[in-house]
Amino acid sequence: MTSRKWVVPVGLMAMLVAGFFLVRSLSDDLVYYLYTSEAVEQRADFPDGRRFRLAGIVVPGTISFNADEVVFEVSDGAATVPVRLLGTPPQLFAEDVPVLMEGTWEGEVFESDLLLIRHEEGYEAPDEGNVPES
Amino acid sequence: MKRAALPTLTGAALALGLFLAVNSPPDLIQGEFVRILYVHVPSAWLAFLAFGVTAFGSATWLIRKTERWDRLAASSAEIGVLFTALALLTGMIWGRPVWGTYWDWLDARMSSTALMFFVYLGYLALRRATPDPLQRARRSAILGVIAVIQVPLVYFSVSIWRTLHQGMTVTSDGIAMDGEMVAALMANLAAFTLLYLSLLFERLRLAKLEALAEPIAEPIAGEAISTPKLGSQL
Repeated sequence: MTSRKWVVPVGLMAMLVAGFFLVRSLSDDLVYYLYTSEAVEQRADFPDGRRFRLAGIVVPGTISFNADEVVFEVSDGAATVPVRLLGTPPQLFAEDVPVLMEGTWEGEVFESDLLLIRHEEGYEAPDEGNVPES
Repeated sequence: MKRAALPTLTGAALALGLFLAVNSPPDLIQGEFVRILYVHVPSAWLAFLAFGVTAFGSATWLIRKTERWDRLAASSAEIGVLFTALALLTGMIWGRPVWGTYWDWLDARMSSTALMFFVYLGYLALRRATPDPLQRARRSAILGVIAVIQVPLVYFSVSIWRTLHQGMTVTSDGIAMDGEMVAALMANLAAFTLLYLSLLFERLRLAKLEALAEPIAEPIAGEAISTPKLGSQL
């Protein structure tokens, strides 16, 4: 066996090790989304117009549908942020639902053009008084 | 008669799994969409299992250097790629109505699963592109051992990173799920595992026959491509 045969596997292994460390360092720096209290805390790092992702739970009683936007508040329990969503939210959008939005700060309001529903890891069957939506 | 036992058992288990999946209650929030879970989770589990077996076959080949371990690694990888594709596809179908999107590249679970899919497609391509059986076995065994690190990466991606994809429902602390749903999920996990074994044994039998057959001079993948002659046109 010549040593050349090992070039491909050794190269592959080196790439994977490099990839592993890249992933590790990314997981420290790259935050996929901020919870509302983090977003409020780091308000200075995200000037108006800088896009980021914001996560929270829709506060009951705050949703109002206007002509081509939806206005509501999201909270993570520690901080509440008012949101203006341009466009139509997905079907499962409702009070108390965890949401993930992409957008920018516009003053004290988070202006978003993309809202996704986060589904939590729990699954529950409906019982009396609890009727499934859809 | 004995050879038909496993496929028969698999068919019965899949039928039971389907019955439970259809008759389990809808989810409080998702409604009927929850039923995709009974295909999605077992598919992802089979992908993990299959790539684990590929790594085991690969490692054993590197020690023993006998053909049967290479066949095991290759056969299992084919099934793994199929079920990774199925997991990705069912996830996308579920994601559109529930999340509001088919795909999100920033999500660690989705991106790492897509990466795993393409790396194992690469594994199969590597096998096709290496005509010498010994060289093919060695190269793919090494890749088979290395590539398996993606399995824990994909599995734990939801707890390492913040993701759109939900976290683990089944943990050491218990199962955050309605009892009837757990029964349906477990039945389908068992049925899919039997399906994996059926497919694997059949594929191993075929691989053995392929090895016995006269080697045919087939075109190799990539053979038709020649190096462009730079400057010849100018």
